[in-house]
Amino acid sequence: MEDYTKFRLKSRDEIVPLLEGKDNLFVVACNKCFKEFENADEPERGEFEKIAAEQGKKITGCVNVDFLCNKTTTQNKLELPTGTENVAVISCGLGIQTVADLSDMPVYAAADSVKSYDGHHGMALTTVRCDGCGQCYLNLTGGICPIVDCSKSLVNGQCGGSKNFKCEVSKDKDCAWDKIHERLAAQGRAAEILNVPVQLRDHSKVNFKFIDDYVKSIREKRFEGYYGGIHPSEYKELAEFFPLKTFPAPDNVVIPLSQHAGAPAQAIVAAGDTVKTGQKIGEAGGFISSTIHSSVSGTVTAVEERLHPTTGVQVMSVVIKSDGKDELHESVKPVQNWESLSVDEIADIVREKGIVGMGGAGFPTAVKLKSPKPIDTVLLNGCECEPLLTCDHRVMLEFADDVIFGLKVLIKTTGAEKGMIVIEDNKHDAIELLEKKTADIPNIGIVVAKTKYPQGAEKMLIKRALGKSVPSGALPLDVGVVVSNVSTVKAVSDAIQKGMPLIERAVTVTGPYIKNPGNYMVKVGTPVQSLIDHCGGLTSDDVTIKLGGPMMGFEIENFDVPMIKGTNGIIAIEPDVSEASDCIKCGRCADVCPMELLPLYYPKLAMAQDWTGANDKSVRDCMECGCCEFICSSKIPLRYSIKQCKKGVIEQAQKEGK
Amino acid sequence: MLITVLKSKEDIECVAKGKTICVTCEGCKEVHFPEVEAIELVKELNPTGNVITEYVCNPDNLKVQLAKHMDKLNAADTVLVFSCGVGVQTVSDNFRDKKVYAACDTYPLPGGQGVTPLEFDCEQCGECYLNGTGGICPITACSKSLVNGQCGGCKDGKCEVDKEMDCGWERIYKRLEKLGLLDEMRYPAKLRNFNLMYEESK
Amino acid sequence: MRISELFKKGEMVITAEVGPPKGCHPEHLIHEADEFLKDVTAINVTDSQSSKMRMGSLATCKGLKDAGHEAIFQLTCRDRNRIALQADLLSAAYFGIENLLLLTGDHPSVGDNPQAKPVFDLDSVSLLHAVGELEKGVDLGGNELEGAPPKFCKGAVVSACSDSVDVQLAKMEQKVKAGAEYFQTQAVYDSEKFIKFMERAKQFGVPVMLGLIIPKNAGMVNYMSKNVPGISVPEAIVDELKADKEKTSSGATGVEITARIIKECKDYCQGIHIMALGWEKFVPDVLKMAGLKA
Repeated sequence: MEDYTKFRLKSRDEIVPLLEGKDNLFVVACNKCFKEFENADEPERGEFEKIAAEQGKKITGCVNVDFLCNKTTTQNKLELPTGTENVAVISCGLGIQTVADLSDMPVYAAADSVKSYDGHHGMALTTVRCDGCGQCYLNLTGGICPIVDCSKSLVNGQCGGSKNFKCEVSKDKDCAWDKIHERLAAQGRAAEILNVPVQLRDHSKVNFKFIDDYVKSIREKRFEGYYGGIHPSEYKELAEFFPLKTFPAPDNVVIPLSQHAGAPAQAIVAAGDTVKTGQKIGEAGGFISSTIHSSVSGTVTAVEERLHPTTGVQVMSVVIKSDGKDELHESVKPVQNWESLSVDEIADIVREKGIVGMGGAGFPTAVKLKSPKPIDTVLLNGCECEPLLTCDHRVMLEFADDVIFGLKVLIKTTGAEKGMIVIEDNKHDAIELLEKKTADIPNIGIVVAKTKYPQGAEKMLIKRALGKSVPSGALPLDVGVVVSNVSTVKAVSDAIQKGMPLIERAVTVTGPYIKNPGNYMVKVGTPVQSLIDHCGGLTSDDVTIKLGGPMMGFEIENFDVPMIKGTNGIIAIEPDVSEASDCIKCGRCADVCPMELLPLYYPKLAMAQDWTGANDKSVRDCMECGCCEFICSSKIPLRYSIKQCKKGVIEQAQKEGK
Repeated sequence: MLITVLKSKEDIECVAKGKTICVTCEGCKEVHFPEVEAIELVKELNPTGNVITEYVCNPDNLKVQLAKHMDKLNAADTVLVFSCGVGVQTVSDNFRDKKVYAACDTYPLPGGQGVTPLEFDCEQCGECYLNGTGGICPITACSKSLVNGQCGGCKDGKCEVDKEMDCGWERIYKRLEKLGLLDEMRYPAKLRNFNLMYEESK
Repeated sequence: MRISELFKKGEMVITAEVGPPKGCHPEHLIHEADEFLKDVTAINVTDSQSSKMRMGSLATCKGLKDAGHEAIFQLTCRDRNRIALQADLLSAAYFGIENLLLLTGDHPSVGDNPQAKPVFDLDSVSLLHAVGELEKGVDLGGNELEGAPPKFCKGAVVSACSDSVDVQLAKMEQKVKAGAEYFQTQAVYDSEKFIKFMERAKQFGVPVMLGLIIPKNAGMVNYMSKNVPGISVPEAIVDELKADKEKTSSGATGVEITARIIKECKDYCQGIHIMALGWEKFVPDVLKMAGLKA
């Protein structure tokens, strides 16, 4: 690959006079972008410091920064030591202006920016360029740009300077208009160009106001609520208008004993046992664990290892053959006078009824209820920011009272002052309904948030709704917040009001390749295949099936696996055919990372097994939302490397702990 | 990174003739791409196919992404590309014997170095002026790119070109004044070297 | 004759500005100059002012020169790169036009051909420098000129009543260093502001000509005060123009105001520059009332 250096150090002859009369320098260097990405510092800073030292200058400190032009991330890295009088910046003009804007001290450029690369769109480094003239001529010229390919940017044909197909400016440069005529002739369009009226460029099209307004709107969108995030196509319309239907009980269910964060449950039934709907079949295997219940009535046919839908490994599961009667177990009865119960008693019910976070992570809800720190707010996540999924939306519409009831339970149990339901603005009907239903409840409010993925992530949700930042390594409870999903509180409501454990949930079966998308109340343990079949099957052989949304869902290859407590969707989408190419350091991953990390480093660090480096780059703050992977212009599977880094960091910490 | 804006419907209808396939690039959607308008327009054009993909500016990626649509593409008379100028040229280069048309106009965007649209712009002039100007770029902050101070078009600190645009040289003066560096403005006439930009790109 | 010679002698130099026609018939302009501008030292010809396309300044200067007037060639950086600018300067020297007013020029987007490409290869300061180089016998590329080099009187502009007067003074200093031999100000309506400006500008030792626009009515001055960079009009003058509408439309009020400003400021400046904007016929009255001509 060519060296796409963006700037170069000014020459010694320029730097020496520049330093005259200036001392106590702080040196800032950018690690450059749009280049073959190597995990090493750029050499310019050393060269500059050498020259400065020769001139007897004192250097108060120095820093290398990635994407110096990114003001948000740069401002955290610029701490000028006391005694600094001048700042020297080795960067392109953007970085220098950013530092100058952030610093109260004189800032000097030690480098010149150079236009030595092509492409320049934040993506591929290519040989074709675009000048952004605002009046694309490519339709007249067979797809060859007269503005950039012609050295005079002529738009009405060739000048007299072409000789042997070459431009008068350089013998190495093809004449653009020769190329244009050749291309058009090859397409049988030679006559077209003769009929084109005289072209006059309109230089007023690219004006300050137009561009300034766009930049403002894009930046507003980018910083809306929290830094970064993305706006993938939603395709919610495929399923959002289909009310929840009860999915027919399957003949057989496979209920994994591990559907939650923490230790697996222990089976308390054996093959041959008869069970009823809602009967406990697995006991929690520890403090961070959960109970498991039968979703049907019938006979246990096996307790054996089965393929887990999301982890891809074999886990102990209870296989039950339904008798089709759906007889309720005696333990399923409403809780009387729940308001008179103690925090511990409510938490025990929530624990006993197997309720875990239903947004995907499966963290036992009872653990959250008994927070060791004071809680002031319960935030309900009704964002459903993943594209395609609509089950939470339907739950809010069809079980609004249960959601509000469940929220009240959480508020009381955690001792919070208030509860807030955060809903993205693409769900107007749910906002309207819940606003109406909570209007008379003084301590429950609705927050309408502009759509942006990953809004539903705990830390993003807290930042957006409350303006509070959860520090690196801390939990929501450290800032006095408990976050829960709307489906989860609906389950809490069922546990209290009906005594029903978590045995069924709302699932969206959707995607461009599902024949009849819809939303269903599905019993835990139902095979994915039967859900797909019920929805008319797939419309193409070449599809990817994921459990969950397209961003954070798990791709599955065996459709016989069961859906579990955390399965909010079964989606059939276009397979990803991308092939990873080299990182070009375009910086877009850093631009969208809501945790303000630098994802581009993780593949390099994983490759080098540099777990200390990965820890320094805060890999453990990553929540694997996938924004970086989504935006990556080189299509690098970043999350794979991130998982490796996290594993490496943990293993190294354990080793050092011994 | 650039801003793309749809061409007028009439202009697009003029070129989208015969069997037309649309190629829509959503790679830069987070920067600016008229996604909704493009979807609407494609519906109205009713082409023989619409391939939604991303980063068509990357020739290798383009080939991979289009592989499964090649039958349709080969059978088409016209390929209509919804992307910035780089994308259109890459597609055009890939289908040299086909009519490849642009459905968008492309505008430059401040920043352009890879990260998000920025408040600042750099034209890569090759002779950085920021040292004499308190770190405010006269090439991009002044609508005339003047390098020898303010012109007569400044009123109430605003530029004659747009009442909302701050005068770049007014900002430079204020910054230098704040830094106690007004002497920096006492330099002999500066002359830009436009040849630098061409030399470098050779 | 270079007007710099007159400044050296301590003479009060008087110039008037004319704008070439939107067309190729400058006869009317020359006729008006013959009739009303006999008493001014030189006539200053604009270069498509406000970016509104007009007949060229150089040819108009030549026409005035042939009719016996001394002409000042205005040259902006808006439309020409350094090759064209230097070429036009040599052409002017050939025509015997020795007085220049060198400006950056308005942005094309404010004019009547807004689609035009803004050039600004040079700016006013580097243009002054370029003229200086030509006078030394070399062009900006360092190439020697054939024969005797040209000799000009190099003028520049400054906005004395600008809201950013500090920035304007810094620019003035740069222009002086680049070789400006006289300055002409943007229209002045506030004598006090002008006098304050001159107290600071006199350090440069370069003659300054007081710029004036004869006010036609209150609407015009209000518009200029609000929209034209470098112009601010005190309320008192607006009121004066409003007071007697008939007198104002006859031109008498404007002439009075202009003459009064001249009287208030003339001890602080070295010349007067009147931008009549079509009211050339009142120039003699202004000069008479100000006591500059009999």
